[in-house]
Amino acid sequence: MQVFDFAAYARFKWSDMRMILKAMGVTLHVTLLSLAIGTLIGLILGLIRCAKNPIVNKLPLIVMEPLRNSPLIVQLFLVFFGLPSVGIRMKAMQAAVLTLSLNTAAFFAVLVHSSIKSIPEAQWEAGYALGFNKFQIYWKIIARQAIRLLIPQAITLYISQLQCSSLVSFLSLMDLSKAGQQVAQKTMLPFLIFGIVAGLYFVLSFPLARFAKYLEKRIGFTI
Amino acid sequence: MAMIEVKSITKSFPVKKYDQAAKKYVKDTLTVLRDFSVNFDQEGVTVLLGPSGTGKSTLLRCINGLETIDKGDIIVDGMSVRDKHQLRKIRETCGMVFQQTVLFPHLDVMDNLTLAPCTLLGMSKKDAVERAKQLLDKVGLLSKEKARHNELSGGEQQRIAIARALMMNPKALLLDEITSALDPEMTSEVLAILENLASEGVCMLAVTHEMAFAQHVASRILFMDKGSLVCDASKDDFFTIYRKENERIASFLKFIGE
Repeated sequence: MQVFDFAAYARFKWSDMRMILKAMGVTLHVTLLSLAIGTLIGLILGLIRCAKNPIVNKLPLIVMEPLRNSPLIVQLFLVFFGLPSVGIRMKAMQAAVLTLSLNTAAFFAVLVHSSIKSIPEAQWEAGYALGFNKFQIYWKIIARQAIRLLIPQAITLYISQLQCSSLVSFLSLMDLSKAGQQVAQKTMLPFLIFGIVAGLYFVLSFPLARFAKYLEKRIGFTI
Repeated sequence: MAMIEVKSITKSFPVKKYDQAAKKYVKDTLTVLRDFSVNFDQEGVTVLLGPSGTGKSTLLRCINGLETIDKGDIIVDGMSVRDKHQLRKIRETCGMVFQQTVLFPHLDVMDNLTLAPCTLLGMSKKDAVERAKQLLDKVGLLSKEKARHNELSGGEQQRIAIARALMMNPKALLLDEITSALDPEMTSEVLAILENLASEGVCMLAVTHEMAFAQHVASRILFMDKGSLVCDASKDDFFTIYRKENERIASFLKFIGE
Protein backbone atom coordinates (compact mmCIF):
# COMPACT_ATOMS: atom_id res chain seq x y z
CA MET A 1 0.00 0.00 0.00
CA GLN A 2 1.16 3.45 -0.91
CA VAL A 3 0.78 4.70 2.66
CA PHE A 4 3.65 2.45 3.81
CA ASP A 5 5.88 3.28 0.85
CA PHE A 6 8.14 5.55 2.87
CA ALA A 7 10.62 6.03 0.03
CA ALA A 8 7.89 7.81 -1.94
CA TYR A 9 7.65 10.40 0.82
CA ALA A 10 10.88 11.86 -0.51
CA ARG A 11 8.77 13.36 -3.30
CA PHE A 12 7.31 15.71 -0.73
CA LYS A 13 9.83 18.56 -0.69
CA TRP A 14 10.29 21.34 1.85
CA SER A 15 9.29 23.81 -0.88
CA ASP A 16 5.91 22.06 -1.10
CA MET A 17 5.43 22.44 2.63
CA ARG A 18 6.33 26.11 2.36
CA MET A 19 3.70 26.50 -0.33
CA ILE A 20 1.10 24.89 1.93
CA LEU A 21 2.03 27.11 4.86
CA LYS A 22 1.87 30.20 2.66
CA ALA A 23 -1.58 29.10 1.49
CA MET A 24 -2.58 28.70 5.12
CA GLY A 25 -1.82 32.39 5.45
CA VAL A 26 -4.20 33.12 2.60
CA THR A 27 -6.96 31.06 4.23
CA LEU A 28 -6.40 32.88 7.51
CA HIS A 29 -6.40 36.25 5.73
CA VAL A 30 -9.66 35.58 3.85
CA THR A 31 -11.35 34.09 6.91
CA LEU A 32 -10.36 36.67 9.51
CA LEU A 33 -11.11 39.62 7.25
CA SER A 34 -14.51 38.31 6.20
CA LEU A 35 -15.43 37.26 9.75
CA ALA A 36 -14.61 40.74 11.04
CA ILE A 37 -16.60 42.50 8.31
CA GLY A 38 -19.39 39.92 8.48
CA THR A 39 -19.73 40.27 12.25
CA LEU A 40 -20.03 44.03 11.99
CA ILE A 41 -22.63 43.95 9.20
CA GLY A 42 -24.42 41.04 10.88
CA LEU A 43 -24.62 42.96 14.16
CA ILE A 44 -26.23 45.92 12.41
CA LEU A 45 -28.67 43.70 10.47
CA GLY A 46 -29.51 41.76 13.64
CA LEU A 47 -30.24 44.94 15.59
CA ILE A 48 -32.49 46.21 12.80
CA ARG A 49 -34.29 42.84 12.96
CA CYS A 50 -35.08 43.62 16.63
CA ALA A 51 -36.73 46.94 15.77
CA LYS A 52 -40.34 47.34 16.83
CA ASN A 53 -41.60 48.68 13.51
CA PRO A 54 -42.98 45.68 11.58
CA ILE A 55 -41.76 46.99 8.23
CA VAL A 56 -38.30 48.09 9.35
CA ASN A 57 -37.58 44.81 11.10
CA LYS A 58 -38.32 42.83 7.93
CA LEU A 59 -35.95 44.86 5.74
CA PRO A 60 -32.77 42.93 6.64
CA LEU A 61 -34.50 39.74 5.46
CA ILE A 62 -34.22 40.97 1.87
CA VAL A 63 -30.48 40.54 2.17
CA MET A 64 -30.38 37.72 4.69
CA GLU A 65 -32.73 35.15 3.22
CA PRO A 66 -31.11 34.79 -0.23
CA LEU A 67 -27.70 34.53 1.45
CA ARG A 68 -28.86 31.94 3.95
CA ASN A 69 -30.77 29.87 1.44
CA SER A 70 -28.32 29.41 -1.39
CA PRO A 71 -25.04 27.52 -1.42
CA LEU A 72 -21.93 29.54 -0.71
CA ILE A 73 -20.24 28.14 -3.79
CA VAL A 74 -23.04 29.51 -6.01
CA GLN A 75 -22.73 32.90 -4.31
CA LEU A 76 -18.99 32.88 -4.97
CA PHE A 77 -19.50 32.04 -8.65
CA LEU A 78 -22.21 34.68 -8.96
CA VAL A 79 -19.94 37.39 -7.59
CA PHE A 80 -16.72 36.35 -9.31
CA PHE A 81 -17.98 35.09 -12.68
CA GLY A 82 -21.41 36.70 -12.85
CA LEU A 83 -20.82 40.30 -11.79
CA PRO A 84 -18.29 41.05 -14.59
CA SER A 85 -21.15 40.72 -17.07
CA VAL A 86 -22.80 43.75 -15.43
CA GLY A 87 -19.50 45.59 -15.42
CA ILE A 88 -18.34 44.87 -11.87
CA ARG A 89 -14.97 43.19 -12.00
CA MET A 90 -12.93 42.27 -8.99
CA LYS A 91 -9.95 40.21 -8.06
CA ALA A 92 -10.45 36.70 -6.71
CA MET A 93 -9.40 37.84 -3.23
CA GLN A 94 -11.90 40.70 -3.20
CA ALA A 95 -14.71 38.51 -4.47
CA ALA A 96 -13.90 35.87 -1.86
CA VAL A 97 -13.83 38.32 1.04
CA LEU A 98 -16.98 40.12 -0.12
CA THR A 99 -18.98 36.94 -0.53
CA LEU A 100 -17.80 35.31 2.68
CA SER A 101 -18.45 38.55 4.61
CA LEU A 102 -22.02 38.83 3.39
CA ASN A 103 -22.62 35.15 4.00
CA THR A 104 -21.27 35.42 7.55
CA ALA A 105 -23.32 38.58 8.12
CA ALA A 106 -26.56 36.83 7.18
CA PHE A 107 -26.01 34.02 9.66
CA PHE A 108 -24.61 36.30 12.35
CA ALA A 109 -27.67 38.55 12.11
CA VAL A 110 -29.90 35.58 12.90
CA LEU A 111 -27.80 34.80 15.97
CA VAL A 112 -27.91 38.40 17.20
CA HIS A 113 -31.65 38.58 16.68
CA SER A 114 -32.37 35.28 18.42
CA SER A 115 -30.02 36.05 21.33
CA ILE A 116 -31.68 39.37 22.02
CA LYS A 117 -35.18 37.97 21.59
CA SER A 118 -34.50 35.17 24.06
CA ILE A 119 -33.94 37.62 26.92
CA PRO A 120 -37.28 37.54 28.76
CA GLU A 121 -39.65 40.47 28.29
CA ALA A 122 -39.68 40.80 32.09
CA GLN A 123 -36.10 42.09 31.99
CA TRP A 124 -37.21 44.96 29.78
CA GLU A 125 -40.13 45.74 32.06
CA ALA A 126 -37.95 45.67 35.15
CA GLY A 127 -35.65 48.13 33.41
CA TYR A 128 -38.49 50.42 32.34
CA ALA A 129 -40.04 50.29 35.81
CA LEU A 130 -36.76 51.55 37.31
CA GLY A 131 -36.82 54.49 34.89
CA PHE A 132 -34.25 53.41 32.29
CA ASN A 133 -34.84 54.36 28.69
CA LYS A 134 -34.68 51.92 25.80
CA PHE A 135 -31.02 52.45 24.97
CA GLN A 136 -29.92 52.22 28.59
CA ILE A 137 -31.80 48.94 28.91
CA TYR A 138 -30.25 47.64 25.70
CA TRP A 139 -26.77 48.55 26.80
CA LYS A 140 -26.81 47.89 30.55
CA ILE A 141 -29.18 44.94 30.78
CA ILE A 142 -30.08 43.19 27.53
CA ALA A 143 -26.80 43.28 25.63
CA ARG A 144 -24.83 41.92 28.56
CA GLN A 145 -27.12 38.94 28.87
CA ALA A 146 -27.54 38.39 25.15
CA ILE A 147 -23.80 38.28 24.56
CA ARG A 148 -23.55 35.30 26.89
CA LEU A 149 -25.95 33.45 24.60
CA LEU A 150 -24.35 34.81 21.46
CA ILE A 151 -20.70 33.92 22.01
CA PRO A 152 -20.82 30.11 21.81
CA GLN A 153 -23.11 30.24 18.78
CA ALA A 154 -20.97 32.87 17.08
CA ILE A 155 -17.84 30.79 17.54
CA THR A 156 -19.56 27.74 16.10
CA LEU A 157 -20.43 29.91 13.09
CA TYR A 158 -16.83 31.15 12.85
CA ILE A 159 -15.51 27.60 12.85
CA SER A 160 -17.89 26.55 10.13
CA GLN A 161 -17.08 29.66 8.06
CA LEU A 162 -13.36 28.90 8.40
CA GLN A 163 -13.99 25.52 6.85
CA CYS A 164 -16.31 26.95 4.22
CA SER A 165 -13.53 29.31 3.21
CA SER A 166 -12.01 26.30 1.43
CA LEU A 167 -14.60 26.92 -1.29
CA VAL A 168 -12.72 30.02 -2.40
CA SER A 169 -10.19 27.64 -3.96
CA PHE A 170 -12.72 27.39 -6.82
CA LEU A 171 -11.94 31.03 -7.63
CA SER A 172 -8.34 29.95 -8.33
CA LEU A 173 -7.33 31.53 -5.06
CA MET A 174 -4.30 29.75 -3.60
CA ASP A 175 -5.76 28.94 -0.21
CA LEU A 176 -5.00 25.97 2.01
CA SER A 177 -7.17 23.44 0.20
CA LYS A 178 -6.13 24.62 -3.28
CA ALA A 179 -2.47 24.32 -2.35
CA GLY A 180 -3.22 20.89 -0.89
CA GLN A 181 -4.77 19.80 -4.20
CA GLN A 182 -1.81 21.01 -6.23
CA VAL A 183 0.83 19.49 -3.98
CA ALA A 184 -1.08 16.23 -3.78
CA GLN A 185 -1.27 16.06 -7.56
CA LYS A 186 2.38 16.87 -7.95
CA THR A 187 3.74 14.47 -5.36
CA MET A 188 1.03 11.82 -5.85
CA LEU A 189 0.80 11.50 -2.07
CA PRO A 190 -2.87 12.44 -1.48
CA PHE A 191 -3.22 10.65 1.87
CA LEU A 192 -0.22 12.39 3.39
CA ILE A 193 -0.89 15.81 1.88
CA PHE A 194 -4.60 16.00 2.62
CA GLY A 195 -3.83 14.61 6.05
CA ILE A 196 -1.47 17.53 6.63
CA VAL A 197 -4.01 19.99 5.21
CA ALA A 198 -6.75 18.63 7.45
CA GLY A 199 -4.36 18.87 10.40
CA LEU A 200 -3.63 22.51 9.61
CA TYR A 201 -7.35 23.34 9.44
CA PHE A 202 -7.65 21.63 12.81
CA VAL A 203 -4.81 23.75 14.20
CA LEU A 204 -6.68 26.87 13.10
CA SER A 205 -10.13 25.96 14.34
CA PHE A 206 -9.54 23.92 17.50
CA PRO A 207 -8.10 26.82 19.55
CA LEU A 208 -11.16 28.82 18.51
CA ALA A 209 -13.42 26.13 19.94
CA ARG A 210 -11.43 26.03 23.19
CA PHE A 211 -11.53 29.81 23.34
CA ALA A 212 -15.32 29.67 23.11
CA LYS A 213 -15.44 27.34 26.10
CA TYR A 214 -13.14 29.66 28.02
CA LEU A 215 -15.22 32.73 27.25
CA GLU A 216 -18.38 30.90 28.25
CA LYS A 217 -16.90 30.16 31.66
CA ARG A 218 -15.37 33.60 31.99
CA ILE A 219 -18.67 35.41 31.53
CA GLY A 220 -20.20 32.81 33.78
CA PHE A 221 -23.68 33.57 34.97
CA THR A 222 -26.88 31.74 34.33
CA ILE A 223 -30.06 33.20 33.02
CA MET B 1 -54.40 67.05 45.68
CA ALA B 2 -54.07 63.32 45.52
CA MET B 3 -50.70 61.95 44.56
CA ILE B 4 -52.04 59.57 41.93
CA GLU B 5 -55.18 60.60 40.11
CA VAL B 6 -56.66 58.05 37.75
CA LYS B 7 -59.12 59.96 35.57
CA SER B 8 -61.68 57.76 33.84
CA ILE B 9 -59.20 55.61 31.96
CA THR B 10 -60.09 52.92 29.45
CA LYS B 11 -57.65 50.19 28.56
CA SER B 12 -58.24 47.39 26.13
CA PHE B 13 -56.03 44.71 24.63
CA PRO B 14 -56.22 43.26 21.13
CA VAL B 15 -57.19 39.60 21.21
CA LYS B 16 -58.08 36.97 18.65
CA LYS B 17 -61.51 35.42 18.79
CA TYR B 18 -62.74 32.36 16.95
CA ASP B 19 -65.69 33.21 14.77
CA GLN B 20 -67.86 30.09 14.61
CA ALA B 21 -69.81 31.19 11.57
CA ALA B 22 -66.84 32.25 9.47
CA LYS B 23 -64.64 29.44 10.82
CA LYS B 24 -61.63 31.65 11.33
CA TYR B 25 -59.97 33.82 13.92
CA VAL B 26 -60.97 37.46 13.90
CA LYS B 27 -59.46 40.44 15.65
CA ASP B 28 -61.28 41.60 18.71
CA THR B 29 -60.57 43.81 21.68
CA LEU B 30 -60.84 42.92 25.31
CA THR B 31 -61.62 45.93 27.45
CA VAL B 32 -60.00 45.44 30.82
CA LEU B 33 -60.61 48.82 32.42
CA ARG B 34 -63.65 50.83 31.40
CA ASP B 35 -64.02 54.47 32.43
CA PHE B 36 -62.14 53.80 35.63
CA SER B 37 -61.40 56.56 38.14
CA VAL B 38 -59.76 56.50 41.54
CA ASN B 39 -57.45 58.65 43.61
CA PHE B 40 -54.58 57.63 45.83
CA ASP B 41 -53.01 59.78 48.50
CA GLN B 42 -49.46 59.44 49.61
CA GLU B 43 -50.28 57.67 52.82
CA GLY B 44 -50.77 54.19 54.14
CA VAL B 45 -51.25 50.94 52.31
CA THR B 46 -53.96 50.50 49.72
CA VAL B 47 -54.81 46.95 48.74
CA LEU B 48 -56.48 46.10 45.46
CA LEU B 49 -58.60 42.98 45.72
CA GLY B 50 -60.65 41.14 43.19
CA PRO B 51 -60.79 38.06 40.99
CA SER B 52 -58.20 37.46 38.29
CA GLY B 53 -58.64 39.32 35.05
CA THR B 54 -60.39 42.33 36.50
CA GLY B 55 -57.63 44.76 35.65
CA LYS B 56 -55.86 45.17 38.98
CA SER B 57 -52.41 44.53 37.56
CA THR B 58 -53.29 46.48 34.44
CA LEU B 59 -54.16 49.47 36.60
CA LEU B 60 -50.75 49.33 38.31
CA ARG B 61 -48.99 48.91 34.96
CA CYS B 62 -50.87 51.90 33.55
CA ILE B 63 -49.85 54.05 36.51
CA ASN B 64 -46.22 53.09 35.88
CA GLY B 65 -46.54 53.72 32.17
CA LEU B 66 -45.81 50.13 31.20
CA GLU B 67 -49.14 50.03 29.36
CA THR B 68 -50.45 52.89 27.28
CA ILE B 69 -53.99 53.93 28.07
CA ASP B 70 -56.66 54.29 25.40
CA LYS B 71 -58.71 57.05 26.98
CA GLY B 72 -58.53 59.22 30.06
CA ASP B 73 -55.42 60.22 31.91
CA ILE B 74 -53.38 59.37 34.97
CA ILE B 75 -51.70 62.17 36.87
CA VAL B 76 -48.86 61.10 39.15
CA ASP B 77 -47.56 63.86 41.37
CA GLY B 78 -48.63 66.47 38.85
CA MET B 79 -47.22 64.59 35.83
CA SER B 80 -49.27 62.90 33.14
CA VAL B 81 -48.36 59.36 32.04
CA ARG B 82 -49.31 60.44 28.53
CA ASP B 83 -46.27 62.73 28.46
CA LYS B 84 -43.38 60.54 27.35
CA HIS B 85 -40.80 62.97 28.70
CA GLN B 86 -42.14 62.70 32.22
CA LEU B 87 -42.39 58.91 32.25
CA ARG B 88 -38.95 58.57 33.78
CA LYS B 89 -39.87 60.95 36.60
CA ILE B 90 -43.11 59.05 37.15
CA ARG B 91 -41.27 55.77 37.35
CA GLU B 92 -38.91 57.32 39.87
CA THR B 93 -41.92 58.44 41.90
CA CYS B 94 -43.56 55.00 41.80
CA GLY B 95 -41.25 52.04 42.30
CA MET B 96 -42.66 48.78 41.03
CA VAL B 97 -42.16 45.15 42.06
CA PHE B 98 -43.51 42.32 39.89
CA GLN B 99 -44.97 38.89 40.47
CA GLN B 100 -42.07 37.00 38.94
CA THR B 101 -38.81 38.06 40.42
CA VAL B 102 -36.77 39.93 37.86
CA LEU B 103 -33.32 40.57 39.23
CA PHE B 104 -30.74 41.18 36.53
CA PRO B 105 -28.95 37.83 36.25
CA HIS B 106 -25.68 39.27 34.97
CA LEU B 107 -25.20 41.39 38.09
CA ASP B 108 -24.75 40.47 41.74
CA VAL B 109 -27.14 41.75 44.39
CA MET B 110 -25.17 44.91 45.13
CA ASP B 111 -24.93 45.88 41.46
CA ASN B 112 -28.60 45.12 40.98
CA LEU B 113 -29.34 47.70 43.63
CA THR B 114 -26.85 50.35 42.58
CA LEU B 115 -27.29 50.20 38.78
CA ALA B 116 -30.36 52.43 38.55
CA PRO B 117 -29.44 55.15 41.08
CA CYS B 118 -25.90 55.43 39.70
CA THR B 119 -27.09 55.67 36.10
CA LEU B 120 -30.28 57.66 36.51
CA LEU B 121 -29.89 59.79 39.64
CA GLY B 122 -26.21 60.43 39.19
CA MET B 123 -25.54 59.05 42.65
CA SER B 124 -21.89 58.28 43.30
CA LYS B 125 -21.01 54.62 43.57
CA LYS B 126 -19.96 55.11 47.19
CA ASP B 127 -23.23 56.73 48.24
CA ALA B 128 -25.21 54.12 46.33
CA VAL B 129 -23.39 51.27 48.05
CA GLU B 130 -23.96 52.97 51.39
CA ARG B 131 -27.68 53.27 50.75
CA ALA B 132 -27.89 49.75 49.33
CA LYS B 133 -26.36 48.41 52.53
CA GLN B 134 -28.95 50.21 54.63
CA LEU B 135 -31.77 48.79 52.53
CA LEU B 136 -30.30 45.30 52.45
CA ASP B 137 -30.12 45.49 56.21
CA LYS B 138 -33.75 46.53 56.26
CA VAL B 139 -34.81 43.49 54.23
CA GLY B 140 -32.47 41.30 56.28
CA LEU B 141 -30.13 40.29 53.48
CA LEU B 142 -26.98 42.24 54.21
CA SER B 143 -24.93 39.04 54.05
CA LYS B 144 -26.03 38.34 50.48
CA GLU B 145 -24.64 41.43 48.80
CA LYS B 146 -22.27 39.44 46.59
CA ALA B 147 -24.76 36.69 45.70
CA ARG B 148 -26.14 36.06 42.22
CA HIS B 149 -29.84 35.62 41.59
CA ASN B 150 -29.57 31.84 41.30
CA GLU B 151 -28.07 31.58 44.79
CA LEU B 152 -31.14 33.21 46.31
CA SER B 153 -34.51 31.72 47.19
CA GLY B 154 -37.66 33.15 45.63
CA GLY B 155 -38.49 35.04 48.81
CA GLU B 156 -34.99 36.46 49.05
CA GLN B 157 -35.11 37.56 45.41
CA GLN B 158 -38.40 39.29 46.02
CA ARG B 159 -36.98 41.07 49.07
CA ILE B 160 -34.03 42.22 46.96
CA ALA B 161 -36.46 43.43 44.31
CA ILE B 162 -38.25 45.49 46.96
CA ALA B 163 -34.93 46.95 48.11
CA ARG B 164 -34.04 47.71 44.48
CA ALA B 165 -37.27 49.63 44.01
CA LEU B 166 -36.64 51.54 47.25
CA MET B 167 -33.16 52.55 46.07
CA MET B 168 -34.76 55.16 43.82
CA ASN B 169 -36.42 56.71 46.85
CA PRO B 170 -39.95 56.44 45.44
CA LYS B 171 -42.93 58.18 46.98
CA ALA B 172 -45.00 55.05 46.51
CA LEU B 173 -44.40 51.36 45.89
CA LEU B 174 -46.55 49.52 43.37
CA LEU B 175 -46.63 45.84 44.28
CA ASP B 176 -48.06 43.52 41.65
CA GLU B 177 -48.94 40.21 43.35
CA ILE B 178 -45.42 39.94 44.67
CA THR B 179 -46.09 36.91 46.84
CA SER B 180 -48.16 34.86 44.39
CA ALA B 181 -45.23 32.79 43.18
CA LEU B 182 -43.91 31.99 46.66
CA ASP B 183 -44.62 29.25 49.17
CA PRO B 184 -46.31 30.21 52.48
CA GLU B 185 -43.03 30.42 54.38
CA MET B 186 -41.39 32.77 51.90
CA THR B 187 -44.63 34.70 51.61
CA SER B 188 -44.59 35.47 55.31
CA GLU B 189 -40.91 36.50 54.99
CA VAL B 190 -41.85 39.05 52.34
CA LEU B 191 -44.99 40.20 54.12
CA ALA B 192 -43.00 40.83 57.29
CA ILE B 193 -40.76 43.18 55.31
CA LEU B 194 -43.78 44.96 53.87
CA GLU B 195 -45.33 45.33 57.31
CA ASN B 196 -42.12 46.89 58.54
CA LEU B 197 -42.03 49.30 55.63
CA ALA B 198 -45.67 50.21 56.18
CA SER B 199 -45.00 51.00 59.82
CA GLU B 200 -42.18 53.28 58.68
CA GLY B 201 -44.70 55.19 56.59
CA VAL B 202 -43.82 53.92 53.10
CA CYS B 203 -46.86 54.39 50.88
CA MET B 204 -47.85 51.22 49.05
CA LEU B 205 -50.34 50.21 46.42
CA ALA B 206 -50.59 46.45 46.40
CA VAL B 207 -52.41 43.91 44.31
CA THR B 208 -52.58 40.78 46.40
CA HIS B 209 -54.52 37.66 47.21
CA GLU B 210 -53.02 37.52 50.69
CA MET B 211 -55.91 38.22 53.00
CA ALA B 212 -53.61 38.25 56.01
CA PHE B 213 -51.76 41.15 54.45
CA ALA B 214 -54.97 42.98 53.67
CA GLN B 215 -56.25 42.50 57.20
CA HIS B 216 -53.10 43.43 59.08
CA VAL B 217 -51.43 46.07 56.99
CA ALA B 218 -53.94 47.70 54.66
CA SER B 219 -55.53 50.98 55.54
CA ARG B 220 -57.77 51.14 52.50
CA ILE B 221 -59.21 48.41 50.34
CA LEU B 222 -60.40 48.65 46.77
CA PHE B 223 -62.45 45.77 45.41
CA MET B 224 -62.55 45.48 41.65
CA ASP B 225 -64.66 43.27 39.45
CA LYS B 226 -64.87 43.16 35.65
CA GLY B 227 -62.87 46.32 35.17
CA SER B 228 -64.79 48.56 37.50
CA LEU B 229 -64.61 49.55 41.11
CA VAL B 230 -67.10 47.69 43.30
CA CYS B 231 -66.08 49.16 46.60
CA ASP B 232 -63.62 51.65 47.98
CA ALA B 233 -63.54 51.47 51.74
CA SER B 234 -61.38 51.53 54.79
CA LYS B 235 -60.18 48.13 55.89
CA ASP B 236 -62.54 47.91 58.85
CA ASP B 237 -65.58 48.86 56.79
CA PHE B 238 -64.60 46.38 54.09
CA PHE B 239 -64.32 43.38 56.36
CA THR B 240 -67.43 44.22 58.38
CA ILE B 241 -70.05 46.17 56.47
CA TYR B 242 -69.22 45.37 52.85
CA ARG B 243 -68.63 41.67 53.29
CA LYS B 244 -72.10 41.37 54.74
CA GLU B 245 -73.92 43.68 52.36
CA ASN B 246 -72.24 43.12 49.02
CA GLU B 247 -72.89 39.68 47.57
CA ARG B 248 -69.99 39.77 45.13
CA ILE B 249 -67.50 40.56 47.89
CA ALA B 250 -69.00 37.97 50.21
CA SER B 251 -68.67 35.20 47.63
CA PHE B 252 -65.13 36.25 46.70
CA LEU B 253 -64.02 36.20 50.33
CA LYS B 254 -65.70 32.85 50.86
CA PHE B 255 -63.69 31.27 48.07
CA ILE B 256 -60.43 32.74 49.25
CA GLY B 257 -61.00 31.12 52.64
CA GLU B 258 -61.70 34.13 54.75
